[in-house]
Formats: sequence, structure tokens, C-alpha cells
Amino acid sequence: MELIKPGSYFDFMKYRGPVITVLALMATLSLVSLFYPGPNYGIDFAGGTEVQLAFRGDTTPNEVRTALQDAGYSRPDVISVEGEPNQYIIRVQEVSSLPDDQIDKLREAVTALLGEDVVREMKVSPGGDKITLRVSGEVHEQQLQEALEEAGARVRSLNLLAGSRDTRYEVHLVGVADELTAQLREKFGDRAPDGALRVEWVGPKAGEQLRDAAIQSLLYAIAFIMLYVAFRFDLRFAPGGVIAMLHDALITLGIYVLLQKEVNLTTVAALLTIMGYSINDTIVVYDRIRENMVRVRDKSLRELINISTSQMLSRTIVTSLTTLLSVSAFFFLGTGVIADIAFALGVGIVIGTISSIFVAAPITELMDRRFFSRSRS
Amino acid sequence: MDRGWYFRLAIVVGTSLLGFLALWPSVDRWLPCPDIVKETFENQINPGLDIKGGLRLMYEVEVDEYIRDRRDRIAEQVQRQCGVLIGIVPEEEVDDIDKATLAEIQQRCKVERVDKEGDAVRAIRITFSNQEDAQKLSKTWVKDYFRDLRVASGVGDLVVDLHMREEQLTNMRETAVRQSERTITNRIDNLGVLEPTVIARPNDGDIIIEIPGAQESSFERIKSIISRTAQLQFQIVDDESDSRSVFTAPPEGVFLNADSQTFAEAFGEDARDQLRSYIATLPVPDDHELAIGRQEPDPERGGEGWRTYYLYRVADVTGEDLDDASVGFDPQSGSPEVDFTMNTRGASRMADLTGRSIGKRMAIVLDDRVESAPVIQGQIGARGRITLGAYLDRNQLLQEAKDLVVVLQAGALPAPLRPANEQLIGPTLGQDSVQKGALAAVVGILLVLVFMAVYYQVGGLVADAMVLLNLQLLLGTMSGIGATLTLPGIAAIALTVGMAVDANVLITERIREELRLGKSPRSAVEQGYARAYSSVFDSQLTTAIAGIVLWQFGTGPIKGFATMLLIGIGTSLFTGTFCSKVLFDWLVRGARVQRLRVG
Repeated sequence: MELIKPGSYFDFMKYRGPVITVLALMATLSLVSLFYPGPNYGIDFAGGTEVQLAFRGDTTPNEVRTALQDAGYSRPDVISVEGEPNQYIIRVQEVSSLPDDQIDKLREAVTALLGEDVVREMKVSPGGDKITLRVSGEVHEQQLQEALEEAGARVRSLNLLAGSRDTRYEVHLVGVADELTAQLREKFGDRAPDGALRVEWVGPKAGEQLRDAAIQSLLYAIAFIMLYVAFRFDLRFAPGGVIAMLHDALITLGIYVLLQKEVNLTTVAALLTIMGYSINDTIVVYDRIRENMVRVRDKSLRELINISTSQMLSRTIVTSLTTLLSVSAFFFLGTGVIADIAFALGVGIVIGTISSIFVAAPITELMDRRFFSRSRS
Repeated sequence: MDRGWYFRLAIVVGTSLLGFLALWPSVDRWLPCPDIVKETFENQINPGLDIKGGLRLMYEVEVDEYIRDRRDRIAEQVQRQCGVLIGIVPEEEVDDIDKATLAEIQQRCKVERVDKEGDAVRAIRITFSNQEDAQKLSKTWVKDYFRDLRVASGVGDLVVDLHMREEQLTNMRETAVRQSERTITNRIDNLGVLEPTVIARPNDGDIIIEIPGAQESSFERIKSIISRTAQLQFQIVDDESDSRSVFTAPPEGVFLNADSQTFAEAFGEDARDQLRSYIATLPVPDDHELAIGRQEPDPERGGEGWRTYYLYRVADVTGEDLDDASVGFDPQSGSPEVDFTMNTRGASRMADLTGRSIGKRMAIVLDDRVESAPVIQGQIGARGRITLGAYLDRNQLLQEAKDLVVVLQAGALPAPLRPANEQLIGPTLGQDSVQKGALAAVVGILLVLVFMAVYYQVGGLVADAMVLLNLQLLLGTMSGIGATLTLPGIAAIALTVGMAVDANVLITERIREELRLGKSPRSAVEQGYARAYSSVFDSQLTTAIAGIVLWQFGTGPIKGFATMLLIGIGTSLFTGTFCSKVLFDWLVRGARVQRLRVG
């Protein structure tokens, strides 16, 4: 069976203008979408609290969502757990963490009560569920608790840890998960959930760190791949491959953002895979161009690109097709994370195939004309 | 067929056999695996957190505590060294300054620790009482004696500020996190059976611990074992000096011991906290401290009991000198206890300490809690034991002894841990996804197999054989190294299968081209392989680069994904170029097909 007749010659370079224009437009749109509407970060990146609750009586997700909105949560996500009636995963952006001005207020209250010299240090945990206080000297616990509560903290318990060197108090605060469960229990009466089946929270600091690490890894991947291409081929090839690769990742991310799918660590993994796949696709075409450059001496680079791309077209399509086949099985049959990864990979593979034909090689030709033409003639 | 071919065939068969054996223990459930194989290949594929459920904990190492600790020790040395500087003590006696002399030194130059909140630079301040002494301090003096410090301000003035060097701070942060990582790994390993992943990120001061499949009931225990600081100290109890003056009127619920009034005690659930709050307010002399330990319960006064101990502050022997610990049983009462042995340094210090304190009591203090305070009957050397107070029932004692052994063996954490994130993933959530994921994997692979066979015919069947072999090697490798299989990992398998085909596609397309040029099947295969190598190699390697970067920074599911991708690239290079060639060679040379049907 043959998809592409052997010896076919397609003038890809002729159509590069319109195709690149469309792709560039898509890439620009994607770039814009990163700022508006902006990525819908999952709790790994944005920080937030996730609670899984099993209600005792019949409820609908909508009912729970409304109840949460009434309770003042800004954007509650309520997802029913498949196969478990009345079980929901509830995600709110609130973390127990305290805002800076709140922390300042608490600090003022404590210093006002105990005096500047007595308070040696006050730390608030990033999750916002614990305050650690180091003091020298006497503290009236009741007064301390009252002062903290007056400044807006919701104290669950206050413990003294007498150390060998100094005195430490640990104040445990009421967390979002505790509070949320209690509020629902109040609203739903005898249908209410018992307690959280699962609680997960990511402090905003941890989220930021993860995001930075993810961006860092993307940059590293780009740098290493560029180095490798420059080393194995030459400088004319490196920018085309990297631009095509970035373009694929950007457009996939853009589609993700426009569909308001959640961007989380798994998305980063998928993006990196797409970049790997895209460069893989590009390299195969490059490899053929390199081979033809040695074998066919009397053709322009433009023609060489057309010949090489046409020769590899069958392979490009077959590989994309097989990968798409297995990925689509995951998209249609998988759930949750797996379906999300499959979606991202699917989009990336399609875009990557187009870009390896219309973006990478044409940029190489452009590089050649701009910077290397004199040396060739 | 020539010798070389048989040799290559042997490699293919051998590898595939090895792959199967490595995989066998993982599929024991469906295909019972003989013990001899299980003993050789101890590892299995571990279901990841998202599949099996489990516990994911993230702790922040309180690095500042560690740095403060170090600073305090350095401050003490500075104080002593100042004695040499101003000429009160000779250089060689700097480690052996008695109390009176120290007081004298402090009068002329006082060393204080400066703690300012939000102050990243941990500082020490020296205050001289006269200009003459102050002139003696120079930057070189600081540099010569204290590598960790630099002069921040005031050389020659009465008040000199010393700060910790930035690079030392960075080192200390790294050390604290690395040490914590090692300690936690050891502790969890000592608990047995769990297969934890412990990842340290020194830059962020974080430690991430993932324990798949942990029972919900054991979470609290695991958490408490992980976060226990486990500082062990041996301190002498001061029963001689009059500690009565230390105790002011106790609040309600706290009693002074009726006979001697030399210690305070409290009973009931809140007793420990009550005592703590009380002693925190007491004026204890600098060289002493008060610690709390268990007391005989008194049902009439509220149940469990706690009492204070009046201790000399110096701890000559600490857990650092511990060599080993194990659960033992008291020969008389048979109740569980912890036996330990000291290393040489610890043993000699212990002998020294106990030798001069016969008849006194020695408190064994673990994290500010007195575990026991036996009377020293004679000199103790390398061996000792910690009795756990006879006030708990046998099962509780045994559990406590076991936990204590775990933390003692693993050593103390260099700094306390603060929980930053905690995830409890229910296994039921995974089950459904796993089944669907597995189904998707099977369907995906089948689709690829069918497509290849239809499109490339004989070439496609060769590719199909390679895909299956690749899959077997991939799973075998994972099983052999005990890799973790996560949901994204399953997706990576599918992707790998798709991409593994790529090597075959490249080669088969190339063979097609060569055949079209009118070459014989045999030379078309030779040429096809020779020409396709570079593109197969380059394309797989660039993907591998992305995989390595992922593997470097990723945790949990992402790391699982990267592991699979990398293993997959390795196995698909092997099957795609090496194994498939063996099969093609047989077709064109052994079977001597006249027409190679590659679509």
C-alpha cells in the first residue's frame, strides 16, 4: 500500500507563505491567550485546596456548588466522582495561607501584647495552618489566643513547646478543608458528609516553585536540543528546528488555554514530549536534506528541501498516523489525567507534523539565504 | 546463514529471555513465578501513587533552625577564643575554661547572638568593655579562627558585629536538606515493606516523600516517625543542689512533690502541656534546665502522670555517638526496652560521664522528653539501655520501643521539619482509571499492529514483532529496576509504541526506495539499514534529551513518565535497528525470498 506515490514531487516551498502566516497567527493567538484569558492553573501551580467528600444523602453537584458560593468561595469546582454517587471532588482556590497584611496584623497584635523584647520570632507556615512563636519570658496563653483571634486568626489549639534554649508556642489554625467541611455539614444537615476522604493542599509558595521548575526545565530542554542540532547538523538547521518545536508547544498550550483545560505538571510533561516529538520529526527531514545536499549538487536549497520533504512525506504521515492511533485510544477510552495527556499529545502531533514540513525547513532556507548565501556561491 | 547472524540471533533471544525473566515476578498473579526467578529478580513494577493510592508528603526543612544552631555553637567558641584574644587564657586551654574564668572573660568582652526577624544574616555581636581590648580584634583574627564568619562592622570599636558568610549559609542549607533526606530515607526503610521515594530539593529547602499503598491506619505513625527530630542526650540529674527555690507557686493542676518539693508533677490528659507552660515561666539558672518525663499514673488525680527533672544543661554524650540500637527486654520484668551501643568516642565519653557520677541519676532525654532516669550503679561503657518507664501497657511499650529504634538507628534530623503539603490519595480513585488506561493501551497497540501489517505487509509484520518485543523488554526493564508505573507512565508506553514504530517505518521506507531502484532484496535491506541509521539515531536521541530533562526535574508522576520514555527509547533503538535486522536478514538470506513484500 502506498499513501504517496514514489517519486512524487510537491512544491511545499511555494505554499510556505500562507501556511506560515496561518501558523504564525495561531501562535500569536496562543501567546495572547496566555495573558487573556490566561491559563487555568491546576492546584499544583496555583495553590489551592482540594477535598474529596462523600455525602450521606442525595445531592447534585450544582447544589453543592451553590452552597459553596453562598459560603463565599470564589470559584469552587465540584466534580462528581464516577461510579460513586454523591461523592465529589471539591476544589477551591482558597488556601489556608494568610495574606501578608493579615500576617502583619497578627504580628502587631502579638508584639502589642507581649512587647518587642519578648517576641523573638514569629513564623507563619506557608500552608497557613500554623504559627510558630518564639518568646523569652512569660506569656499568658489565654490572652495570646484572644489577641490572635482579635487580629483575625482562627485558633484551633495553642501548644507550648518548652525547648532547652527558649520557649516556643505552636498555634494551630483552622484550615480551609476543616472549614469547608463544617460549612457543608451545617448547610446539608443529615445529608452532610462525615469527614473529608482526602485532603490536598498546595501552598502558593510551593506552587510557584513548581512553576519555576517547570519553566526552567523547558529552557534547559530547548538549550540542549539546540546544541545537539547545531553539533550534528550545522547552524543553519538549529533555529528552524527550535522555532518549530517552540511553535508546536506554544500552539498546544494555547489550545489548552482557550479550552480552559487545567494546566498542571502533567501538561508540562505532555508539552515536553511534544517538543521531543516535534524535533524528532524535523530531524528526520533535516537528515534527508543533509544527505541530498551531498548527493545532488546542481539543485538550489529550495528545490532540495522540496525533494527531501516529498521523499519523507510518506514516512512523516505514517509515523504521525500510528502515534495518533495509539494516542486516540487513550483519548477516547482513558479518563482524567490519561485523557488529558492524550489530548495534548494528539494536538501536538498534528501541529508538529505540519510544522516539520512548513516551518522548520523553510526557516533553514531563510537562514541560508540571509547568512550563508555568499559562502555557497 | 553465517556465524555472525547466529551470534546476533543469540543476543536477541538472550535479551528477550532476560526481559521475560525480569518481568515474571511482576506478573506472578497471572502466571505463577518460580521462587528461583523471584530470588534472582527481586524487583517488580511498582504501581505508582495515582494507581495504588498512598501518601505524598512534602516537608520544608526548617533550615533556619539548623543555621541558628550552628551559629550558637560558633558564638560559644567565639566567646572562648576571646579569652585568648584579651590574654586571660593561654591558647592551648581554650577548650577547657572553667566557669569563673568564663565569667571574667564575659565581663571584658561579651559575646551575644543577635536574632532579628527576617534577618537572613545570622549574626554574633561582641561588646568590649574597654578600648584596649577592642583594639586587639582584627579581621585576620576572625578569618584565622572562624571560617564561617566575616566582620560586618566595627573593627576597633567597642561593638563588633560578625555575620555568617553567605557561601557558608548556602552550604549549610544544602547540608541540612541532604542530611534530612538521608535520615528520612533510613527511617522509612527501617519501617520495612514500604517503597518510598524521598526527593530532596536543597534550593527550596523541601523534601518530598511518596509512599505508595500505605494503609490509612499507618499514616499517623509514619508521619510521626518522619517528623520526629530525635535528638538524644544523656544528662545528669541534679538531685543535690536545692532546686526548691526554682519552683514558684504552681498554678492549679500542678503540684510540687509532697516529700521534698524538688520537682513538680501533674496528672491527666493535659498534664504535659500544663507542666510545660509552668516550667517555661520558672527562673532556671543558666547551667541547668528543666525537662519533663513520665510519672507513675495516679487514677485519683486524673490518670497519666508527668513530672519535671532538674538537669545539668551540659550533654556530654549525645545520639551522634550512637552506633546501633535494638529492641530488647528487661531480664527481670520482661518489659520492652531499647538496647544501644556507642561508638568508641561515645563509649569513652560515656565511661567518663558515668565514672564521675556514680550514685547520681542519668536522664536519657529524647527531644526534650526524659525517657528514663536510672541511678548510675557503676561505670557504663559502650552498651546501655533505655527503659521506657513502666507506666504504659506492654503493647504500647513494644510499639514505642520499635519506633524509638527506628529513629535512633536512622539518626537525628539536623533541623525540625514543617509540613508544606500533604496528599492522601485513595486507591479506589485509581482502580477505575487503571482499568480504562490498560484497556486503552491494549486497543492502541492493536490498532498500530493492524495498521502496520496492512500498510507494510511483510515489513509491517517484522515491525509488529519488534513492537511486541519492545513492549516486553520495556516492561521487563521496568520490572528489573523496580520502576514505578504511574498513569502518565501508561500513556508514555503508548507513545513509545507509536514512536518505536518510527524506527521501523524509516527503515522500511528506505528499503522500499532501494527496491524501487531495482536492487535485490538482500542489498536493498543492507542499503536500507545503512542509510536509515543516522536519521533513526538522531531523531531518537533528540527525544531522549527532552526525556532526560524531565527526569532531572520531575517528581512523582512526571518522573515516572520520563523513566518510561527513556527506557522506551533505549529498547526501541535496540529492537528497531538491531533485532529487526536479524529478522530481515533471515528473510533475504536464509529464506532467500525473491520478492520482499514491503507494501
